[in-house]
Amino acid sequence: MGEIRPVYLEDKLKEVEDSGRLDYRSKALPTWCPGCGYFSIVEAVATALCELGIPNENAVMVSGIGCSSRFPFFINTYGIHTLHGRALPSALGVKTANPALTVVAVGGDGDGFAIGGGHVPHAARRNLDITYLLFDNGIYGLTKGQTSPTSAIGFKTPTSPYANPDRPLNPLLMLLSYGASWVGQSYAGDPEHLRSMVRQALEHRGFSYLHILSPCVTFDKTHRTYVNLGMQVHPLPATHDPADKLAAMGEAMKNEQAPAVGLYYREQRPTLDDALDALVEKAGGEKRGLRGGRGRKLR
Amino acid sequence: MSDARHHVIIGSGVAGNQAAETLRARDPDSRITMVTVSRLPFFNRYDLPRVFRGERDWRRFVIYPAEYYRRNRIALRRATKVVAVDSINQTLTLQHKETIHFDTLLVASGARSYLPEELSEYRPLLLGFGAFHEAVQVAETLPKRGHVIMLGGDTIGLDLARTLIELRHRVTLLADDYTFWPHEVSEADRPRYIAALRNMGFEVIEAKERGSLAAVSQGAPGLPARRLVFKDGSELHGDVVMPFFGNVPILDFMIGSGVDIERGLLVRPDLRTTHENIYAAGDNCQIWTDSVRRYCFYHGWKNVRAMGELAARNITGANEAWTPQHDESLRLTADGKILSPFWEYQ
Amino acid sequence: MNTDVQIAIVGSAGDGTIAAGDILRRAMAEIGYRVISFDLYPAEIRGFGKCIARLRVSDEQAYSLKQKSDILVSLDDSHAIPHVGEAREWGAVIYETNSVNPLPEGAHLSAHIDPGQVPYNVPIRELAEKSTGAARSRNIVVVGYIIGLMRLPLEPALRALTGKFKGKGEIAQKNEAALRAGYEEGLRWFRLDDIEFGPPPAQERGAHLEMINGNAAIVRGALDAGIDTFFGYPITPATSIMERLASEMPKRGARLVQTEDEIAAISATLGAGFAGARAATATSGPGLSLMAEMLGFGVIAEVPSVVFVSQRGGPSTGMPTKHEQSDLNMAVFGGHGDAPRIVIAPTNVEGCYRCAGRAFEMAEAYQTPVIVLLDLYLSNRYETVPFPDRPPFEADTNRYADTRGGAAGFQRYVLTADGVSPRSTPGQPGGMHVATGLEHNELGRPNDQPDMHLAQSRKRHEKLKAALRHPGFEPAKRFGDTGAVDVGLVAWGSSFGECLEAMYLAQEEGIRCAALKVLMISPFPVEMATSFLADCKEVLVPEVNYQGQFAGILQMQVPRAVTRMTRIPCAPMRVEEILDEIRRLAGRVVEPQAA
Repeated sequence: MGEIRPVYLEDKLKEVEDSGRLDYRSKALPTWCPGCGYFSIVEAVATALCELGIPNENAVMVSGIGCSSRFPFFINTYGIHTLHGRALPSALGVKTANPALTVVAVGGDGDGFAIGGGHVPHAARRNLDITYLLFDNGIYGLTKGQTSPTSAIGFKTPTSPYANPDRPLNPLLMLLSYGASWVGQSYAGDPEHLRSMVRQALEHRGFSYLHILSPCVTFDKTHRTYVNLGMQVHPLPATHDPADKLAAMGEAMKNEQAPAVGLYYREQRPTLDDALDALVEKAGGEKRGLRGGRGRKLR
Repeated sequence: MSDARHHVIIGSGVAGNQAAETLRARDPDSRITMVTVSRLPFFNRYDLPRVFRGERDWRRFVIYPAEYYRRNRIALRRATKVVAVDSINQTLTLQHKETIHFDTLLVASGARSYLPEELSEYRPLLLGFGAFHEAVQVAETLPKRGHVIMLGGDTIGLDLARTLIELRHRVTLLADDYTFWPHEVSEADRPRYIAALRNMGFEVIEAKERGSLAAVSQGAPGLPARRLVFKDGSELHGDVVMPFFGNVPILDFMIGSGVDIERGLLVRPDLRTTHENIYAAGDNCQIWTDSVRRYCFYHGWKNVRAMGELAARNITGANEAWTPQHDESLRLTADGKILSPFWEYQ
Repeated sequence: MNTDVQIAIVGSAGDGTIAAGDILRRAMAEIGYRVISFDLYPAEIRGFGKCIARLRVSDEQAYSLKQKSDILVSLDDSHAIPHVGEAREWGAVIYETNSVNPLPEGAHLSAHIDPGQVPYNVPIRELAEKSTGAARSRNIVVVGYIIGLMRLPLEPALRALTGKFKGKGEIAQKNEAALRAGYEEGLRWFRLDDIEFGPPPAQERGAHLEMINGNAAIVRGALDAGIDTFFGYPITPATSIMERLASEMPKRGARLVQTEDEIAAISATLGAGFAGARAATATSGPGLSLMAEMLGFGVIAEVPSVVFVSQRGGPSTGMPTKHEQSDLNMAVFGGHGDAPRIVIAPTNVEGCYRCAGRAFEMAEAYQTPVIVLLDLYLSNRYETVPFPDRPPFEADTNRYADTRGGAAGFQRYVLTADGVSPRSTPGQPGGMHVATGLEHNELGRPNDQPDMHLAQSRKRHEKLKAALRHPGFEPAKRFGDTGAVDVGLVAWGSSFGECLEAMYLAQEEGIRCAALKVLMISPFPVEMATSFLADCKEVLVPEVNYQGQFAGILQMQVPRAVTRMTRIPCAPMRVEEILDEIRRLAGRVVEPQAA
């Protein structure tokens, strides 16, 4: 979006090195297919962590299983690559054990809304202070192209050879009704917007849900392609008020035609950590630092 | 419930147990239930003086082991009080409101010790001897070489006194009409029998000589625990005071049953009461005795046992009349002691 | 004189049967006796089902209840009548003498008392009404009556009573009045039974005796070991672990979250374990099934975590309120792949405390999930436990890596002599790594080469062997005769108690007999079991499941013929049955039992 300018390689390299965000990239190279939208997510997270000055050792990437869930291997922080669908409850454990950590859960549409769908409402309603990056490509990539809960009606895949008859879920609408305190959408094909949204999500105190539309360049040649998405994706109306939940829900409903990116909803309310600290106070206990590395107290 | 006849026996003493044994032998398929207020199974109450020789385990007084009742299928219901008998419906009601139907009922509830009205206010200061725990209580209260004051006497008391004297306790007997109960001793014979008691080691005071008993109270500190005051103003001190005024039949529950009662249940020579399926045996019944044209009590264990057996025989089809099995008169021995036929139990 | 008295109180829900048992066992513990106690509840949540409270009071801590009770109390004859036979010969049967309603023949308890038992017909209701104005306190009257009848001191019972109903004003006064009324009545009664309470044993130094049940002991162990987080989902019979922790953990600044399901519970537990917390969850068989996959993750990613499992009748939903030991295979083998883990199974309440604490030590020391396997019987059974004044657990058994200046990438899964790799946790600079469920190399990067799979598999298995020598923990222990024996029992979990009781009885009959208590089932104490079995002419393995799961594991580890004694009575195994098996194996003639 905006004016197109030439980029010179030397300038770009210098800028990257100076930024320090390479420190947040691991030595492992992503195993994704060339052209996958997920590359830009790695870049966005590394950049956001760097910009926010979060020490590598104080961040934890938590994932389940799927193409997107390989994500922790490509970021130079602590990571826990768990089971299919279990990123959110695992993140709950990490964050509860050590609230000083910046915890980011990442996962795909199948991981989050099929097998792991039962966990999403609870992380949201408790306002668990983590960021959940949902990489939505509308397909199961790791198992080679089956339908997912966000696949479009009519999508033909090896498990729906006569075309998928099922309505796709509307994750934004779900998260809004679940009580997520920060709900936004971005598009992997717009790295600038993505970086900005990831950063905002990380900065939010509470459960931030960022839905990232991304094409599967290998297994989806018909629906969620760069070409199609590029035509459909548009920004939320400038008049949208992120404090207005009903309006956010209205915008989320429109996603079923064409997705709008931007911040749908944001509120400030006590997090799970706040609630647990309040419990300790109520019980007359003493708030204590929990175990970190080498038994050190982090708080 | 099976179709078998249900024989219910009230009481688990000599008569009741003998009846149960006979009933089981003569009516093997019947149900037999024995109901008793006692918490102990049938024990030898004649043997109770052994408590004073140090035997405190009640199990050693029990006549039949538990196995006997199991083997003979006698349902032994202890600690169970009968409150009413309905002779029309042939049921009896227990204190805990359970109703039991009977085909035949044998009332062998025996008798309890009698306490004259004028002494009832002193009951807390007196110690009884009817039940096992009372015997234990006396034995535990009485100090070594302690002094027992017996009011009345009766053959149960005299029997106990024989043991106490043997154990070097001092026994003072406040003699009156009950002293030889249930034996009848004429005024003319009485001095000889009293002398025999003295000969046996009793200290005997004829109550009448002191104008009878006026009060019983706690002994003053340093003195024995009990103090007796007589109407003539004299006093007597002892460690334990025990009343022995004979026994009265236990028949409260039969009142209103429709069965005739005088002092005891009135039974025909076949031990049947005025209800054809209700019998009685033991010292709670009076048997019509043609020879003397009146209803007679029998107290001795031999007679009581024979009554239990006869009742059971007649319940199960025999039609036999009662004849006393044993002479119940009191005797004087050659060496000047008295001997009651009630004192020896086998 | 030795004290060994068992009391059973039978009533229906609403009679306060369990409460009476609870006050009585607390009173006994207050006096200084050792107590073991197990209550039987109706399966229904409400209603008027049968309740039985049983407690055995002794000088030394007993491992199981006795077959026969010395004192049997009826608070409801319709429920108590089938249990009258439980009172032993010359034992006491205490019951209500004044019924409210007319009864048909045989409906009163007194109709069923054996001539060998001693009746105590007590006007319980009348005593309650006279002392409190209502019949509700019948249960308290009975407690007082027993204390009085047995000529025990009243003060400890009063303390136990106030401990149970603290700060309830008028109710507390009424309860005390009821207790005293029962006590006075008991004192009045002449004793015909031959039950004897000797003086209580001397107290251990450096410890204080407490009456506690298995689940509460687990909680105590977890707290004393410094538990940081607990995530759980309610399930019978483990729920009370979470409930108790929910009130206790915040007092210590620790955190508990009730998750949306058991999968979330174990996931969060491992997340917390990964973050360095002492983390635990608790569940029963169905929950353990749900957790199986994530436990495999804990194994391969080497994440310290503790799972308390209280077994109940299975499979599937099975019998949630019935006792069984049928989740052993699930605990040891559950989940896919070669997934070794530590499984320990306490055999009594004190063991619950010790196993809970040691489980956290082991989880950290060997970097693995540790399953502490209980069962319904053990969870709910009360015992007096001498708690040490100072918790005996190590606060931190981690082996941490020195990650300062490690630029080359931290080798989280480096191969070491004992298989344990020094770890780092989030917050520790230079220790960044990914814990993954994929097979991985020493850096924790995905790697599916045969050599690496072999090396990492071996490491995961070998490192657990050290757990068999874990400080302060005996994986197995021998009881009974030393040297060669005719019959040796090998037992685990709560059934060990019944086995030990049976073994003692067999010894009294002159049978040479020994018993091996196996506390650690994975890894299996092969050496101890082998030497024990070598001493046994016959081996008996009693357990409460159909398949003989423990016998299977035993035979897998130490191949030899054993007699499997499997019973699924929905309750603890009967001592008498085990004794009969011992007799049979010892060549004694055994009378066939009446059905």
